[in-house]
Amino acid sequence: MYKIVISVGLFLCFPGFPSLSFAEDMVQVPSGNFLTGKKDIETSASLKTVWVEGFEIDRFEVSQEQYKKVFPDFEYPPGKDRHPVSHVSWFEAKAYCEQLNKRLPTEVEWEKAARGTDGRRYPWGNKKLRRRAHPSYSGMVKRIVGFNKKDVSVYGTREMASSVWEWTTGKTEAQYIIRGGLWNEHLDYEYSKTYDRIALAPEQRFIFVGFRCVR
Amino acid sequence: MRSLNLLGRRAFLKNLLISVSGVLLSFAKAPDVVFAGFNFWRSSEYVGKTRDGIYEKFYIQYYKSFKRIKRDSWTLKVKGLCKNPQELSLDEIMAFPVIEQVSRIKCVECWSAKAAWGGFSMHELEKRVKPLPKAVGVLFRCADTYVEYLSLEDLHHERTLLVHTMNQNPLSDEHGFPLRVIVPYKYGYKSPKAILEIEFVEQPGRGTWNRIGPYSVDGTILPGYDHPLDRGKKRRRIFGGEIFD
Repeated sequence: MYKIVISVGLFLCFPGFPSLSFAEDMVQVPSGNFLTGKKDIETSASLKTVWVEGFEIDRFEVSQEQYKKVFPDFEYPPGKDRHPVSHVSWFEAKAYCEQLNKRLPTEVEWEKAARGTDGRRYPWGNKKLRRRAHPSYSGMVKRIVGFNKKDVSVYGTREMASSVWEWTTGKTEAQYIIRGGLWNEHLDYEYSKTYDRIALAPEQRFIFVGFRCVR
Repeated sequence: MRSLNLLGRRAFLKNLLISVSGVLLSFAKAPDVVFAGFNFWRSSEYVGKTRDGIYEKFYIQYYKSFKRIKRDSWTLKVKGLCKNPQELSLDEIMAFPVIEQVSRIKCVECWSAKAAWGGFSMHELEKRVKPLPKAVGVLFRCADTYVEYLSLEDLHHERTLLVHTMNQNPLSDEHGFPLRVIVPYKYGYKSPKAILEIEFVEQPGRGTWNRIGPYSVDGTILPGYDHPLDRGKKRRRIFGGEIFD
């Protein structure tokens, strides 16, 4: 029993977990160059250097509770307030950000926020985390935003290699790019790299796609 | 001594003949009963899980083996929250306007396979049975005792079909004769086969696979990896949702 009390106490006190005031919890990403792209380990192909103007980005993925405050018709299972919102199209994600005088990140903004300036493979560095990214299970296991304390970037953004994938304004001819969630191989999950990208039709809604905003 | 040598030669020739016959026989086609798996099922009145023979290119997964369904005695029982519950014959089902599509089934256990499917939209069935507004989804009950739940939203998706043909032929028993569902953006366990009964329900339900294994209720294909049987199981990345190639 005392373990439960201590756990709950730590949970409530731990500063890394977002509180209800996390709507405005944004981190500053300064102007400057950063290394972007996929580094080919075998050929040592170099990364590109790209300049990005400074911006602020949500520390956490947008939660279901936050989303519902802006779009009251949105429904989600009870007790899952602080889980990342998903099943939202690119248009809905964009509309949410604009309602708060924010916008969806460009791809380079998203990538810089995730990997900093040094071209690292994961937000925390270049090595895989020992801890499994996800239990052996065929579907998304959503946790409250900020649950994974290890998945943190140099700027303090959380879960850019785990949790849900996130809409950006990057696009191909007819699709928009999502960045940074989990890959599933036969119930075995791995963190995405900071350069991994997926193109999806903007009207698609999936359990594995959410977003965060910038300004 | 001579007789012993003669006996020895006779015995040697006899053994040689038996050995050569054995080698030759081993190259010949063995009778069906020698094989387990596919040939066992083909030769029996039951159908069940197999990956042998032609099914190397499209694995067959059933929850339990079951007696092959007879065309004339099969009916689709539609019940639950609908105004006109009824039993439909295969002829009635086949009379619905046919939609054809090529789509891939992606198994949660990593393989995938593609086929041309023919069937009809859930809307056709709903015109007949008229589901009540409070119905949110459907429970499918199948010949192998498998149960699966799909929401009406998923059943109304433009890529979801209730299927009775595969590659321009009636579904084989292995692939779910006489009726199965295809939901190409979900793992294969969300596409029940050999359907006997459809029940409209007012609460989301759970399926057999979700109850007994680490398989999500939702079943959406996640970003990950695929080992397509039609491409020599060569591993490739997939990006979540339907795999279109």
